[in-house]
Amino acid sequence: MSDQQDILLQVTGVAKTFGGLKAVDDVTLALRAGIVTTLVGPNGAGKTTLFNLITGQLVPDRGEVVWLGNSIVRLPQWKIARLGIGRTFQDLKLFSHMTVEENVTTVTERGSWLWQPGGAAAKAARRSSVEAALEATGLKDKRHARAIDLAFAERKFLSLARVMASGARLWLLDEPASGLDPGSYERFLSLLRNSVRGGVTICIIEHNLDIVQGISDRIAFLDQGRLLAEGEPKTILSDPALAAIYFGERAA
Amino acid sequence: METYIINLLVLISINAILAVTLNFILGYAGIFSIAHALFFGVGAYAATFAAMKLGLDFTGATAFGMLLAALISLALALPALRVRGEYFVAASLGLQMLAITVFTEWKSVTGGIGGLTNIPPARIFGFTLTQPEHYLVLSLACLLAIILIIRALVRSSFGRSLKALRDDEAAASAFGKNVSVIKTSAVVLSSALAAVAGSLYASYLSFINVESFVLETSIQLMAMVIIGGTATLFGPVVGAVLIILLPAGLSYIPHLPATEIGSIQQIIYGLAMVLLMIFRPGGLWGFQENPKAHA
Repeated sequence: MSDQQDILLQVTGVAKTFGGLKAVDDVTLALRAGIVTTLVGPNGAGKTTLFNLITGQLVPDRGEVVWLGNSIVRLPQWKIARLGIGRTFQDLKLFSHMTVEENVTTVTERGSWLWQPGGAAAKAARRSSVEAALEATGLKDKRHARAIDLAFAERKFLSLARVMASGARLWLLDEPASGLDPGSYERFLSLLRNSVRGGVTICIIEHNLDIVQGISDRIAFLDQGRLLAEGEPKTILSDPALAAIYFGERAA
Repeated sequence: METYIINLLVLISINAILAVTLNFILGYAGIFSIAHALFFGVGAYAATFAAMKLGLDFTGATAFGMLLAALISLALALPALRVRGEYFVAASLGLQMLAITVFTEWKSVTGGIGGLTNIPPARIFGFTLTQPEHYLVLSLACLLAIILIIRALVRSSFGRSLKALRDDEAAASAFGKNVSVIKTSAVVLSSALAAVAGSLYASYLSFINVESFVLETSIQLMAMVIIGGTATLFGPVVGAVLIILLPAGLSYIPHLPATEIGSIQQIIYGLAMVLLMIFRPGGLWGFQENPKAHA
């Protein structure tokens, strides 16, 4: 079914080398609109590097990244973000000394100057997307707490609230569920499902195979910088060769 | 005696303006500049030039100083802000040293090492400030206005962007913040407002020379901000009060040989900084504004 859907982001032949290490090696991958694509693979497979190459934090040595038909390779990071690509970080990178509300509010404010464009109507729209994000992540009561003072799960939800409020169409989520307790898992999964239903496209890096099975429409399997397989969850997860790499590498 | 106290209060206000404007970039944007005295100097020399050579009154001369400080800081900030964190400290140190050379050598404008004398008293809306009290009112009014401007900036979307890139530059970029434009605007604003202190200082003392705008001044301003409390509205004012009053207070302690006051002052500064960083890392004022800092 997903093959018919529009391609939101197309990565073609992308490569990045750090010193002698091929972190991402000739990866070609399409992220289709309105679905969840999961990146799976052992540590060091190049999953986070791929995110950094898409968002412009890193510039690929070779290859092309195309967003809705336009090349975004070599655009500055902030411009790529404004096109509608949002992300979370494995180490969260919250604005630690700002309050929860400020963390979420500031990502809705894109103007660099002393004022924001759009006047009162735009301000009200920003306000309501902040409230929606705080509501969905259960952080309403913590709005005045500083990010640094939050509990672990709350911090993870704050990083999701930020990408939610930013209005991004594509969310690149870097291990957002790791370390969450079962109750938080459920909230997290339903938040993702609701967002996809609302039109968001998600690409997620995840190690927990229960979650992978629970939310993925497509799975891309990476190892040592290369994309080994991409397809339906059933196909990928039942492939014994991939399982051997995944669990073999993990145990090593 | 009364004049002495008024004099201290004027100097405190002028230094508070510098500390508050430095805190705007240091505390809120995390830009550690040790070139703040440079813009104090640019404000002082430019306002003096405007008053003596162009015949402008205080508002005109101050605006001239602010404009020049803004332009110079823009020229300096654009390349310097491309480097990050500790490298900016080194870059700003270089600028500060460069400025000292210019202030000393550009004799036709700065008067060289001897400085400029007989700077006319400030004229504002046709009124000439002749008494120290007049300057106290003017400098307090300037300080208040600058605190209000900075308060409005910090609470605006611009202030949130500054704090965001201070806390995590990578995340700020990933959420669409144009980090270099935001940082550059902050430095330009801070430098232009610091020039107001220069204009006040020059017309108040009626004499300026390079010694007021050296590296030690920049470091002392940084100490005011850190002791008072970075990223707080009134912390830098508290810091300015303490650091200006310290030498004045020491001179009242009996049996203290006047020749030793300088070194005793250094010991107290050093000790105070160490104790503060251990017991109140947020600065003296930091606790009031962030009661949960240690929760």
